[in-house]
Amino acid sequence: MNRASEPANASQTSHSARAPRSIAAYLEQLHEALAGADPALIQDALYDAEEYLRAECAAHPEKSEADVLELIASTYGAPEEVAAAYRDTEAKVNAALRPVTPLSSESANPLKRFFAVYSDSRAYLSLFYMLLTLVTGIIYFTFVVTGLSLSAGLAVLVIGIPFFLAFIGIARVLAFGEGRLLEAITGERMPRRPIHPGPRARIWARIGEMLQDFRTWTTLAYLLLMLPVGILYFTVAVVGISFAGALLVGPFLVLAQHLGWDFNNGISVLQPEILGTPLVAPFLVALGVVIFTVLMHAARGIGRAQVLLARSLLVKP
Amino acid sequence: MDESHARKFQKDLNAGLVALVLLGVLHRSSEDLYGYEIAKRLQKANEGEPLFKEGTVYPVLRALSANGLLTSRIVPSYSGPPRRYYRITEEGRAVLGDWSGIWRQTRDFVDRFVEVGGEQ
Repeated sequence: MNRASEPANASQTSHSARAPRSIAAYLEQLHEALAGADPALIQDALYDAEEYLRAECAAHPEKSEADVLELIASTYGAPEEVAAAYRDTEAKVNAALRPVTPLSSESANPLKRFFAVYSDSRAYLSLFYMLLTLVTGIIYFTFVVTGLSLSAGLAVLVIGIPFFLAFIGIARVLAFGEGRLLEAITGERMPRRPIHPGPRARIWARIGEMLQDFRTWTTLAYLLLMLPVGILYFTVAVVGISFAGALLVGPFLVLAQHLGWDFNNGISVLQPEILGTPLVAPFLVALGVVIFTVLMHAARGIGRAQVLLARSLLVKP
Repeated sequence: MDESHARKFQKDLNAGLVALVLLGVLHRSSEDLYGYEIAKRLQKANEGEPLFKEGTVYPVLRALSANGLLTSRIVPSYSGPPRRYYRITEEGRAVLGDWSGIWRQTRDFVDRFVEVGGEQ
C-alpha cells in the first residue's frame, strides 16, 4: 500500500506550485494542458472534470471550494495528469477495441481501390445523409429564422428573455444532435457531451455570456447554412442516383421491349434509338456503374467535409 | 527507492487494468452508476489510497461506452452538470469474461516468478 501512495503524494507536491484553487481555474488549466488535442475530446474532458469537481464540492459542504481543490491533485489528478489520461486512453482503448477493417481502399490496384467504396458503410450512410440534409436543413432554417424574429419581436416584453434563452438552448441541442449524427455517419469524432451552460449565474449574466459567446452565432450560422447546403446535397444525390439508375436500367428495359414486353406504346425507352442497340447498350450500363461509384466517392468526401464544417462552427476551439 | 520508477510501473500496469476494473464494478452493481460514484467506490475499496487517479476513470468509461461495452443515460443533477449513469451491456459482460480469464492467467504467471505476500 505504501508504494501506491507515493505516486499520489509525489504528484501533489510537484504540481502544488500553481495548484488551481477554484473549479474555474482547474478547468482553465485542464484546457491549457489539452491544447492541440481534438476539440471534441477537450469538450468531453472539461465536462467530465466539472461533473467530478462539482460532485466533490457538493459532497463536502463544510469545506470551501479552495479547500476541496487543494486535495484534488491526489484524488482526481492534476490537470496535466488528467489531460495525459485523456490523450492516452483515447488512443489505447480505441485501438484495442476497434476491429481492424480490411482496407481494400489501400490496395495497389487502382480499379480495386475505385470499387472498394462499396464495402465502406460510411459511403452509404453519407449518401443517406445527403438526402436527409434537405429535411434537416428546412427544419433548422425555419427554426432559426422563426426563433430570431420572435426573439427580436418579443424583446420589448417580459416573455422575450426566457424565449430567447429557450431558443438558444434548443439551438445547442440541435447542434449536439447534428454532431452525433455526423459521428454515426462518418466515424469522425464529435463531442459526446453537450456543452454545459456553466454555473447558475444570474439571468442577465447568462444572456450577456450567450450574446458574447462567438460560438452561439456560429451555431446559428451553421443551422441557417444547412438549408442551401442541404438543397445542394439533395440535388446532387437525387440527380446522381436517377441518372446512374436510368443508365443502368434503360438498356434492360429496351431488351425487355425487344423480347415482347409491350409498354411505352412500343417506342424505345432510350432515345435516340441507337443507344438501345447491342453495341452501345453495354457501355451505357458501364457508364451508369461508373457514375454511381463516383457518386459514392463524392458522398464519402462530402461526409468528411461536413464534419470539418461542423467542427469549425459547432465545437468550441 | 526511486519514486519515479514506482510511479511509471504503476502507470503502465493501470493502462489496461482500469478498463477491466470498471467493467467488473459495473457488472457487480445492481444499479446504474455515474463517474463520481464509481471513482469513490474504487477509492473506498482500496482503503483510501488511490492506485490510480480518479480522473483516469472518466476517459476509460467514455471509451468503453463508445465501443458498446457500456450504455449510458443522462440524469439532471442539482450539484453540477447532468450526470451520466453507466450500465454494462451484454457485449461488455462477454468482454469482461474474456479479460478476467486473461487477467487470471497473467496473474498466475507473474506469481510464479515474483514472491508476493511473504514479507508483508
